[in-house]
Amino acid sequence: MNFDLSEDQRTIRSTAREFLAARYPPAEVRRLALEDERGFTDAQWSEMVELGWPEIAELGTVEMVLVAEELGYALAPTPLQSTWAAALLGAPLWEAQRGAVVVDGLAFDAGSADVLVDWDGAVVTGASVEPVRALDPTRRLFRVISDPPTPRSPVEGDVERGRLRATVMNAAESVGVAERAMEMAVAYAKERKQFGRPIGAYQAVSHMCAQMLLEVEGARSAVLWAAWALDHEPETAEVATAVAKAYAGDAGRRVPRAALQVHGGIGFTWEHDLHLFLKRGEANAHTFGEGPEHRERIAELAGL
Amino acid sequence: MDLSLSPAEREFRDAVRGWIEAHHPGREPDSEEQLFEFRRAWQRALNERGWAGLSWPTEYGGAGATLVEQAIFYEEVARAGAPSMANVLGLAMGGPTVIAHGTEEQKQRFLPPILSADEIWCQGFSEPESGSDLASLKTRAVRNGAEWVVTGQKVWTTYAHQAKWCMLVARTDPGAPRHRGLTYFLMDMEQDGVDVRPLVQITGEAEFNELFIEEARIPDENIVGGEGNGWPVAITTLMHERAGLAFALQVRVHVALRELRDDIRSAGLSDDRLIRQRFGQLYAEAQVLRLGAYRGLTRPPGPEGSLGKWHWAEVNQGVTELAMDVAGRRALLADGAWPYRFLRARANSIEGGTTEILKNIVAERVLGLPRA
Repeated sequence: MNFDLSEDQRTIRSTAREFLAARYPPAEVRRLALEDERGFTDAQWSEMVELGWPEIAELGTVEMVLVAEELGYALAPTPLQSTWAAALLGAPLWEAQRGAVVVDGLAFDAGSADVLVDWDGAVVTGASVEPVRALDPTRRLFRVISDPPTPRSPVEGDVERGRLRATVMNAAESVGVAERAMEMAVAYAKERKQFGRPIGAYQAVSHMCAQMLLEVEGARSAVLWAAWALDHEPETAEVATAVAKAYAGDAGRRVPRAALQVHGGIGFTWEHDLHLFLKRGEANAHTFGEGPEHRERIAELAGL
Repeated sequence: MDLSLSPAEREFRDAVRGWIEAHHPGREPDSEEQLFEFRRAWQRALNERGWAGLSWPTEYGGAGATLVEQAIFYEEVARAGAPSMANVLGLAMGGPTVIAHGTEEQKQRFLPPILSADEIWCQGFSEPESGSDLASLKTRAVRNGAEWVVTGQKVWTTYAHQAKWCMLVARTDPGAPRHRGLTYFLMDMEQDGVDVRPLVQITGEAEFNELFIEEARIPDENIVGGEGNGWPVAITTLMHERAGLAFALQVRVHVALRELRDDIRSAGLSDDRLIRQRFGQLYAEAQVLRLGAYRGLTRPPGPEGSLGKWHWAEVNQGVTELAMDVAGRRALLADGAWPYRFLRARANSIEGGTTEILKNIVAERVLGLPRA
């Protein structure tokens, strides 16, 4: 019984942290999110393909969530998560191809995807794909219209397990979002002075930061448990996934909200980066099942 | 990363499970006196099997078990609904403190009777004027030859009326900076200078006591960790309290959730979506507590243990609050387990370090924020 990552897993995580920090400094995140039409560049995608990231789930769910957490931490705008989710649901993707998942007529990254699948794992063809204004500017969102219904072909594979793995991946990203927002809040609380003292010396502020740590570490535990169960203990995978998504999904939006409060007025400005984390966390909480749905599922699996 | 049990750990779990099944003494009696003897008998049976001081070194009567094995043991005890052991403070706090800071003579003298429950321990830290601000405590110990004369008052002293030994922190140097003037003593409770008076709490029970100390005597050899070094020794005790007890307590949350689930069913509320969501949230939090307890199995326990203690208090209170809502108008009656548990849980965020103090510890010592 131990949570220690293997040497390979630690290397995957540190490589991701370093690569993403170098390629996605805050200025580049803002440029991609707010100015670039597609929201990512071909060079950036090619580099991720070279790193083997689109297929990382083949190494294991734990390996995938380690990178997903780093994507959230860096807030990297990339179609990688959509491609993972599509592949997990069974989308037939050739090397370097991108995928997207359509849920309730909406799909992140559908405009640049080679293959679309729906949440049941069926390939969607011949649909019209139109960009919409999204809450979260770091990912492109599209309305996918299939009216009259276009033919959908069911794909091969274990779609239920794919849904669970995609859900845990999304939860992992929220852990990274929450962790970065917490780091920003703690750093600001140490440096910002009012009434002659750092605001972090006031318990109203420091206790909010302590609460953030509780939620970040709790969310990380839940995500690692679910990822591990998906690879090694299928009988607990479903409840672990619901726990991870409910808890980490909440952490991913509660922590940025509290971090914004710690920042005060500056956190409410467009020029500060915090709102980008707030929006990503909020968007994640509404993707692949929302909190109430997962909590009801937990109750059911617990025998209620 | 491997969240499954190793073959050796599975073997240990099966051994514990089988032994508990064979020796389970049944339901705990209601009267307090009988309850104490019941738990003492259970501890003695476990000690004969070598499991009372599971993680203690073998040379002091422990089993030298790993932290994971200790965790497995707690899980199995909770799973079987087996009793608690009588000498819980000696086992979880006093013993580990003596093992960490005591002399060889102290280990030989004090550890075996903790395990056998021949000598029960209590904790004399809090005072009427010194709760969260422990280092401000006023109980005085004055040297008189080879012994110390102690005068003062302690409060919230669980098991004081059964205890032989008290982990007592007293001021030995009023001139020193307040954290440096403290000394950690083991005080014999069986003497005229110690008067124990029960303190009735909101449940109507007297689980805690007030301790009036009037010129009690403590020999020099009962100082743990050296004169003037009481603060770090006391911190060791508190860290063990938060880490050690937290594991056992989180296991009980899972047991309580199973009972709550059955009560929701029998109240006909299984289809109520709000109740289901609240239950699902508590279940998720209980899992997070369990995972955190496993992640936090480190020796010696560190300040991160504060997270688990405060989260446990929130979740345990949340379980009892949902149970009161599930009870509906039946909550007006003071019978049944939940009204008692609901009232008792109010203390969870106060006892063993208030949630506010634990948040200070996390903010300052883990996040590095400036002192309040």
